[in-house]
Amino acid sequence: MSILLSSIVAGLLFGMVLAFISLGLTIIFGVMDIVNFAHGEFLMIGMYTGLFTAQATGIDPLLTLPVAALVGFSLGVICYYGFIRFLLRGPILAQLLGTFGLMLLLRNLALMIFGSEDRALHKGILVGKSFELGMGVIIPATKAVVAGLSVVAFLAIWLFMNRSRVGKALTATALNAQGARYMGIPTERMNALAWGIGVATVTIAGALIVNFWPVNPFVGILFTMIAFTIVALGGFGSIPGAFFAGIIVGLITEIPGFWDFITYTFNVGWMADVPMTSLKYMWVYLTYFVIMVLRPRGLFGWKH
Amino acid sequence: MEALKQAFNFSDFQRFDLLVAGSTAIFLLLFPLLPHSSFAMSTLIQFLMFSLYGMGWNTIGGYGGQVDLGKAQYVGIGAFTTAVMLIRWDIPFWVSMPTGMFLAICWSFIIGYPLFRLTGHYFAIATIATSLILKDIFEVWDFVGAARGLEISPIKYTSPDFLRLIFKEDMYYYYIILAFFFIGIFYVNWFRKSRLGFQLRSIKDNEDVARSLGINVHWAKIKTYAVATAFVSMVGSFHACYIKNIEPEDTMNLDLSILIALMAMLGGAGSLWGPIIGAAVLIPLKSYLKEYLGAQVGFVGIDLILYALIIMLISAFEPRGIWGIIEKIRQRRGK
Repeated sequence: MSILLSSIVAGLLFGMVLAFISLGLTIIFGVMDIVNFAHGEFLMIGMYTGLFTAQATGIDPLLTLPVAALVGFSLGVICYYGFIRFLLRGPILAQLLGTFGLMLLLRNLALMIFGSEDRALHKGILVGKSFELGMGVIIPATKAVVAGLSVVAFLAIWLFMNRSRVGKALTATALNAQGARYMGIPTERMNALAWGIGVATVTIAGALIVNFWPVNPFVGILFTMIAFTIVALGGFGSIPGAFFAGIIVGLITEIPGFWDFITYTFNVGWMADVPMTSLKYMWVYLTYFVIMVLRPRGLFGWKH
Repeated sequence: MEALKQAFNFSDFQRFDLLVAGSTAIFLLLFPLLPHSSFAMSTLIQFLMFSLYGMGWNTIGGYGGQVDLGKAQYVGIGAFTTAVMLIRWDIPFWVSMPTGMFLAICWSFIIGYPLFRLTGHYFAIATIATSLILKDIFEVWDFVGAARGLEISPIKYTSPDFLRLIFKEDMYYYYIILAFFFIGIFYVNWFRKSRLGFQLRSIKDNEDVARSLGINVHWAKIKTYAVATAFVSMVGSFHACYIKNIEPEDTMNLDLSILIALMAMLGGAGSLWGPIIGAAVLIPLKSYLKEYLGAQVGFVGIDLILYALIIMLISAFEPRGIWGIIEKIRQRRGK
């Protein structure tokens, strides 16, 4: 029973972490209909930023978030004005391959500068701490904090998009860019803002997850694919959708845990032979595929 | 008969293009007889393989406008079918290649049927997802060697073995893939003028209009997807015999899928010569950058950085590719 409970709790927590990672992707997609392959690479940059800032200044990793946000925001704006602006005129294929090129560039620059070895944080308020909920459920403090901040970030972004003046202008750009332009909204600047915010949220997530996930230049691709799945599942551009889809995907990544639970509870021999842990992410993609077929706009799709 | 006549009929191209194509063909035929390094030979084999991948992608992605980023799964199906059949039952290549194509087409029907209900980004990401699902399964499946993959040991066979496609000299591989290459060109030349080809291009222009003209859009896409699949899996089978050591991580990864799509886009998607031009530019560039800047000068990763910059420049400023640039210049001259 405790396996089941801790799987569910771990799935929920990891789901919130994944939702946090996907938030930036869904903002960017929502505003300008572009799928960003380099998303995981921005996460990686956030992770390196958090790691090096903490090591260089000696402050606690949790306090590096403003640095990560600043780096992410400027990086996003630079990418938009320097590159993405030109992609938006082209066909879908050019957009997909263009951001893929950006991903290759960032990944290999990181490889050249930082080398290919794994780096991890070894100290900080949170590292190594955990608390017990009872019934054998243990929550690592790092994940709990990331999950909590994820909820905060979602609320903040949601409020920003729906309540503030700039956010409303962003939403208007998302719904109808041409109409927004007629109303005097500087859509070009709104797109840049969306890139800034989108990349900033993912670098913050990166600076947070480096507390429990080692970083190397290749860490991005797995998270990119999962973030794609989450954003597609939640409906491209839907912010609440991304949150719930993140939790669903988090629970799905714990299928090996449920599998173990059934295997040991009912003592099924053949189930123990299936290498379920290696198939962890296959279930994510499979769920994406099935939901796409049944509901092609995603669970909470709102555009088109 | 009519189909054959169509396949050999290139009359809608300019005479200059055909001259270039003809002399390139003669060069390719004579290349092994000229003095050359083995590095140049393996680069050319890579070029021919990737042109064929690109041609396959081009049928669905170029003529049909469906952004498919999951072609690597069919490379994997072809490669693993050939390797498994050769290693476990000693079945020759000329049987295992059609089997691989058949299996790939079956798989393409299974996933194509739901896949083609999606459009745009949804479709593109779903093709990636199916590819990753298959890769994950292959990585835990012991029958196909799991994550270690399979290795065809050439020592067991007398060289040269035409039945099983095991040779010591690259020249034999070169001529076999060259033959596939020519067949591929003639096939695509027929395809683009066939009924299905025209249907597909009308779908690309405007799907609703195509539907109202009585074209079964969904079925036309699925059929073309199967054609593209057969191409890719055929080269995948060849890849297994040529490389001899195949792993899911090499043959089915996302980078390969993207490279295939990129090839066609760089040259010019939706034209007969596009994928060939793209492969002719990209493959030598990639392998020479890797060889000289990466291995000899010692800038590890610099080849990929330059390669990434090329991708970014092309997709931002000339999404119609090199063929698009050529046509632009011609139009200006014509004025």
